[in-house]
Amino acid sequence: MTALKKLTLTEPELVVALQSKDPAVLKTLYSMYSSALYGVISRIITHTELAEDVLQETFVKIWQSASHYDNTKGRLFTWMMNIARNLSIDKLRSKDFKNSLKNQDIENNVSFVDEQNKVTFNPDVMGVKQLVENLKPDLQSVLDLVYYKGFTHVEAAEKLNLPLGTVKTRIRLAIIELRRSFN
Amino acid sequence: MSVENLKAYIESGVLELYVLGDLSPEEALHVEEMASQYQEVRDELAAIEQAMEQYAFQNAVQPPADLESKLFEKLGITEEEEFETVAAPVINQEQPRIIRLDASDGKIRTLRYALVACVALLVVSTAALFITYNKLNDAHDQIASLNLDKQKFAGVVSQLEFENKGLDNMVAMNDSKEWATIRMAGQTFSPKSKMNVYWNKKDKSVLINYVAMDLPKADAEHEYQLWALVNGKPVSLGVFGKTDSTSNEALQKMQAIQEAQAFAVTLEPMGGSVNPTMEKLTVMGGV
Repeated sequence: MTALKKLTLTEPELVVALQSKDPAVLKTLYSMYSSALYGVISRIITHTELAEDVLQETFVKIWQSASHYDNTKGRLFTWMMNIARNLSIDKLRSKDFKNSLKNQDIENNVSFVDEQNKVTFNPDVMGVKQLVENLKPDLQSVLDLVYYKGFTHVEAAEKLNLPLGTVKTRIRLAIIELRRSFN
Repeated sequence: MSVENLKAYIESGVLELYVLGDLSPEEALHVEEMASQYQEVRDELAAIEQAMEQYAFQNAVQPPADLESKLFEKLGITEEEEFETVAAPVINQEQPRIIRLDASDGKIRTLRYALVACVALLVVSTAALFITYNKLNDAHDQIASLNLDKQKFAGVVSQLEFENKGLDNMVAMNDSKEWATIRMAGQTFSPKSKMNVYWNKKDKSVLINYVAMDLPKADAEHEYQLWALVNGKPVSLGVFGKTDSTSNEALQKMQAIQEAQAFAVTLEPMGGSVNPTMEKLTVMGGV
């Protein structure tokens, strides 16, 4: 119990506490991951209130379906991030969202998204942004759609009028670029 | 699967889509099967995951500060309290337990009624106890006053017995020829006093009867002294107590005297005097 009051834990510790439904872990989880998840959500949903709602829903869902997480299938963060992305995309397509944003163009570009949110970056974030912006335009547009806009690769292919295989390859290349920059 | 095929599989971009959650359940299952079989696939997936995680962290956006407390409120977890106390609302969200919680809710309601009944009973008991206590006090008071009455009556009865005895003696003495009754009348010191002395002609004994005397109360330092006047000289026949003497005997025997012309009583200091104090001559009467 006392160990869980720490604000950071290793991933295996987190998983054990989360799956034993220890409420204390939620605070730890929130302090460790809320900003990363909110970063993902708020890039998909520009409307601040709705993005906040989705962040809440994300943690509620993480809490409620913790037993479904299987660490053999991937990292905890990947699981949480996908919950956040799926809830964001659901919200984006809901009537709720369309009503609240009638006058706002969903096709707005990334820089508009960033203007809409007060973004707090880590010291080396500027480098990453730079990197994404320095990606070849064709890689960047795919990553924008899939990562920032919550498009599926099928939707992205339709949107960019490209074959599915090409979209997949470009997503892979973009992520390889990211991996290189981190190593 | 050959090394070339494995490489092609990894390079197809399907692993990235898997990490991004962008595969159908069947496709995802296939990726998981591949990952369980090939270390290369697992390594590749781990690298993609780490890249996406780092990317997310480096593009983190701090949510508003009040969101955390809102979230915990929504989940029924209050930050002030220790977390142990709030496990129950979370369990609430699991379906199979709802019925059990309902049952215990009914039990709690029953217990609540029981508690109300207990409190009511306690109030009634307290009131009853209070009333009983008051009645008991009244009863004690009554017993005390009855005891007082009883003592009073007992006193009256013993007084009556005392007087009755004295009167019996007086009657007996009057009937008997042996006894002479000398009536002494009040003197200047106490004009209203009177007293009888009984003198036996045969054995010359002298008796006084407390019932047959009416003398003022003597104070603590004085008592009455009976004298016989023999040829003009006073002879002490002894002292006697006050008229309200607690002695049960109505009669008191005094010293015998062979002859006397008169009897008298004076008020003397305790123990009596050798010569009577004439100023305090209370009663006197001739034979």
